[in-house]
Amino acid sequence: MADNSTTVPPHHHHHPTTSAHHSHGGGMDGMMMSMTFYFGFKNVELLFSGLVINTAGEMAGAFVAVFLLAMFYEGLKIARESLLRKSQVSIRYNSMPVPGPNGTILMETHKTVGQQMLSFPHLLQTVLHIIQVVISYFLMLIFMTYNGYLCIAVAAGAGTGYFLFSWKKAVVVDITEHCH
Amino acid sequence: MHFIFSNEVVLLFDFWNVHSPAGMALSVLVVLFLAVLYESIKVGKAKLLHQAVVSVSILSSQQLTEETDQDSSASDSAPVSRARLRWFLCHFGQSLIHVVQVVIGYFMMLAVMSYNTWIFFGVILGSAVGYYLAYPLLSMV
Repeated sequence: MADNSTTVPPHHHHHPTTSAHHSHGGGMDGMMMSMTFYFGFKNVELLFSGLVINTAGEMAGAFVAVFLLAMFYEGLKIARESLLRKSQVSIRYNSMPVPGPNGTILMETHKTVGQQMLSFPHLLQTVLHIIQVVISYFLMLIFMTYNGYLCIAVAAGAGTGYFLFSWKKAVVVDITEHCH
Repeated sequence: MHFIFSNEVVLLFDFWNVHSPAGMALSVLVVLFLAVLYESIKVGKAKLLHQAVVSVSILSSQQLTEETDQDSSASDSAPVSRARLRWFLCHFGQSLIHVVQVVIGYFMMLAVMSYNTWIFFGVILGSAVGYYLAYPLLSMV
């Protein structure tokens, strides 16, 4: 087994076990992180150094919080898409004369769709983008705890958020725009 | 932590313990298949949505034309609710597929996090193959 040694001193108590194989819970000597899925609620560190889950009640609260965070993430994605579509209503046409084949002048029309850099919708999109990136990294880090309950909370929250927020969006979506 | 070339890795679950080159090759194939599945689910969701929109709009317009031929005093809640029920089922199925997509995406992230270079190559190659195979299907209506 490849050793993942860390230099950060562990915050939890050392269990007096000498076995080198994986055990349930987070009490491994020298291993800060579990590298396989486990179900447990003792001594689960969540994202921040003061946030440690020790009881089943705390795990239930963390489950609900992670569930809501994943739902909020899906809602934020949908909200950003609809905001973008609404703010791109302004379409600018500008025509410029270009020389034609027989010396005639043709008018060529360019169409631009977009936002100006300093407009309020673009700034709002940027702020929402930063929030979305941060929340997506938080969800990734939560999934990285390998705690089964928290991972299920992430997946269920994402599904519920998609179900609730994409309900209306799905009716007006443009089929040709793919990929998330 | 850095990428290493190794024939030993523990991947995602306690029982997925790899010691030998044959096991590593098999694990790389499984991870590759997972990545292909992930890309194809993304395309599949978009196509399903398109089919659902088309079918529900056809269904509701058919029922509305039937309704106008019949007695107009009858309430039109029945055909509308059938279309809405069908739409609800389609959307519920889409949400389940979304959950599968999220979970597989996270599994691939965790597989790369094992810092095993062979697994990483498997994920990248699987994503490439999946994208190559699936995305042309998106424009085929």
